[in-house]
Amino acid sequence: MRSRRVRGAVGWLAAIALVLAACGDDDEEPQGEADPDAEAEPSGSVRFLIAENFWADWSPYASTAQSQRRLERQIYDFLVDFPSGDPAQPEPMLATDWRQVDDLTWEFDLREGVQFHDGSPLTAEDVEASIELGSGFSGESAYSLTWIPADVEVVDELTVRISTEQPFAPMLVELGQIPILSADFIAEPQDMPNGTGPFRLVDDQVEVKAMEANTDYWRDPPRIQELVWEFIGDPSTRMSALLDGSAQAIDRVPPEQLPALEDQEGVELVSATGIESVNLWVRPGRLPLWDENINFRRAVNWSIDRQPLVDSLVLGNSLAATSYLPTNTLFSAPQEPGYTFDPEMAAQELEAAGEPDGGPEFELWVAEGFLPRGPEVVQAIVAQMEEVGLRPQVVTSDVAGMIDDIFSDTGTGAMYHLSWSSNGDPNAAAQVYSEQFAWYFGDEDLQALIDQGMTTLDPEAREQVYADLQQHIWEQAWHVPLYNSDFTIAHTSDLAGVVVQPDFRTDFYTAELTE
Amino acid sequence: MIVRLAFRLAQMLFVILAVVTIAFFVLRIAAGDPARLVNPPGTPEEIITQTRRRLGTDQPLLGQYVTFLGNLIRGDLGTTFRGSLPVRDAVLAALPNTLALAGLAVLAAAGIALVLGALAAWRPNGSLDRTVLGYSALAQATPAFWLGLVLVMFFSLELRWFPAIDMTGPRSFVLPVVTLAVTLSPILVRTVRQSFIETQGEDFFRAARARGLGEVRLFTVHALKMASLPVITLIGLQLGFLLAGAVVVEAIFNWPGIGKLILDALGSRDFPMIQGGVLVAAIAFVVLNFVVDLLYRLLDPRVRVGAS
Repeated sequence: MRSRRVRGAVGWLAAIALVLAACGDDDEEPQGEADPDAEAEPSGSVRFLIAENFWADWSPYASTAQSQRRLERQIYDFLVDFPSGDPAQPEPMLATDWRQVDDLTWEFDLREGVQFHDGSPLTAEDVEASIELGSGFSGESAYSLTWIPADVEVVDELTVRISTEQPFAPMLVELGQIPILSADFIAEPQDMPNGTGPFRLVDDQVEVKAMEANTDYWRDPPRIQELVWEFIGDPSTRMSALLDGSAQAIDRVPPEQLPALEDQEGVELVSATGIESVNLWVRPGRLPLWDENINFRRAVNWSIDRQPLVDSLVLGNSLAATSYLPTNTLFSAPQEPGYTFDPEMAAQELEAAGEPDGGPEFELWVAEGFLPRGPEVVQAIVAQMEEVGLRPQVVTSDVAGMIDDIFSDTGTGAMYHLSWSSNGDPNAAAQVYSEQFAWYFGDEDLQALIDQGMTTLDPEAREQVYADLQQHIWEQAWHVPLYNSDFTIAHTSDLAGVVVQPDFRTDFYTAELTE
Repeated sequence: MIVRLAFRLAQMLFVILAVVTIAFFVLRIAAGDPARLVNPPGTPEEIITQTRRRLGTDQPLLGQYVTFLGNLIRGDLGTTFRGSLPVRDAVLAALPNTLALAGLAVLAAAGIALVLGALAAWRPNGSLDRTVLGYSALAQATPAFWLGLVLVMFFSLELRWFPAIDMTGPRSFVLPVVTLAVTLSPILVRTVRQSFIETQGEDFFRAARARGLGEVRLFTVHALKMASLPVITLIGLQLGFLLAGAVVVEAIFNWPGIGKLILDALGSRDFPMIQGGVLVAAIAFVVLNFVVDLLYRLLDPRVRVGAS
């Protein structure tokens, strides 16, 4: 009897064990080993409040507004990329490989299997249409200012050759700036963009651009499902939204808010020194003494102490300018003499200029709500200028009014507190001083150096050209370099992986919400 | 009656047309070249010309105006300079948000005015009266943008009671409405106070008091209707101030209304959006004024009898 009970009990226990085993999770992975092929689905929504309005529609290469170019980086791809921010370190993107065939020609192998958002495949014809238009070869392009127009030959479906009439040293950097559009879109632009990028635009409002993850992206899809960029001009409102949780990231944190946000729990700051020259730009023809007299120009440069502007007003990662090529630009180097506030030197230069009493009055324009602390910076500059005897008259405007005065035949401004941002290559930074632009004083030597820098392929020789260029323009003092901007994004601590670079690139492809 | 209505309607249309015409020409003559704003200084002239063509600003001024009027008659307000999007959709989406904000602010301000005005008038020159007048002076001196920011800092960021920005639901109305109502209330408070004081001197009021009616009943039943009439008139006169205040409040709270639309468009020299916003604001202004006039006639029999 007893043995039958024991056998029965064992049998029940075995049966229970079998049942329990059958109820176990079929999908349970061995401990410590995740499925390496599993891709996390995009999830969550990120709202990024941008400081500059959206100016443009989606007409191909019709605007170089910074907000538009930053937005396009989420929607479009480029032949090459510079994820490190170093213009000397290109990496494959839509092009997997490239080679320089001769001084005038590059050949690129295109990535196979890339699709536009509408499902059509990327081909060499798309690259041909994009580069030819973007560089100004096949039509007018706002991007062409820093290009030599490029002729593109389709070698086969996934190979192109790009040729220019002269050697073009910044070819790769500039290819990292021209988004690749479909040839069909270029022929017949639509209301909504069609790119190959990690996000596709799904709702286009005047001040709100809503994007969703491109799950067919040629790389892993982004980790955020919804990305919304919204323009809010008032920095206090942007900050309130971040602290309130209504936004996960905000753009261009003003200097006066940096200390408060640095101490704020749940908020992180990402900063860089922007590749942006903030100068007092002088309009040729408005102040004849400036145009004609190098001593007067140097006197003005000796009347401003840049370091306190950076330390006390602009703050953040801004740096006093030591060259006309901003810091973080290839071949940028500090120039001598290092201009600072030196009344004795200023007086000497004014004496040499024949203007010991300071010279004529001139209008110095500044825009409110444009560059951080613009009016305060200009007030500090004016106080210093007056101390050495100069006679600036401050005119405060909005940015549109200032732009209008610059180009108006009846404009009255001589100097303008403005900035020029570039992509890290010295050609893009130097072109603004060329004959293409409104700031050119007819300095043919300078133009020759700019042209030479653009067409010199050998890196060492090119570096020497830009050393000469920086020295030349520093000596001539055509404008008044002040500082390179701080560029700070603030985001909530649960948002990780936002890429911020000195060229104001703000990428959300690698971003994810961690909570 | 019908003739009067028709005349009034014609008047309203004339005002609206005048406002949009002035806005049209002032923008194009004084506000600079939007094509320059979209492109960096030094952009090749061919690009600038291309941009002007796209924006329609390359046409002669009168030609642009005729095109604008023709489109307006068809209900087409054009497309924005920023992104070539339909202006009509944007302004029609924004208008109800501003009306809701302004409407609630008016009600709140009227409520504040009636309560405080009555309290102040109950004992003129007493401590309560002086307190109310003190509030009125303080509220008048307080800029809307400052008040809004302080309310956000305390109630949104510190206490987390209300959202800091956006129109997200009933709770999101509280801070913007309070901001607007407080800035609108001072003149209403003083007017109601004065009106209550004057009413207390009227024969009917003194007779009611002599009959032994309680103070509360005297004020809330007999005096209130008389004292509230000037509030309605004042609201009509303050509509312009209200719309201007709404611009500031909408900017602080990122409220998706007409005010923010126009403000952002001004900074960008987006002429079609500015015109569309001004047009809608002008229509709202004249219509609301008309409604206020009607309301006044309904509430005050003396006006109806006098008119007839």
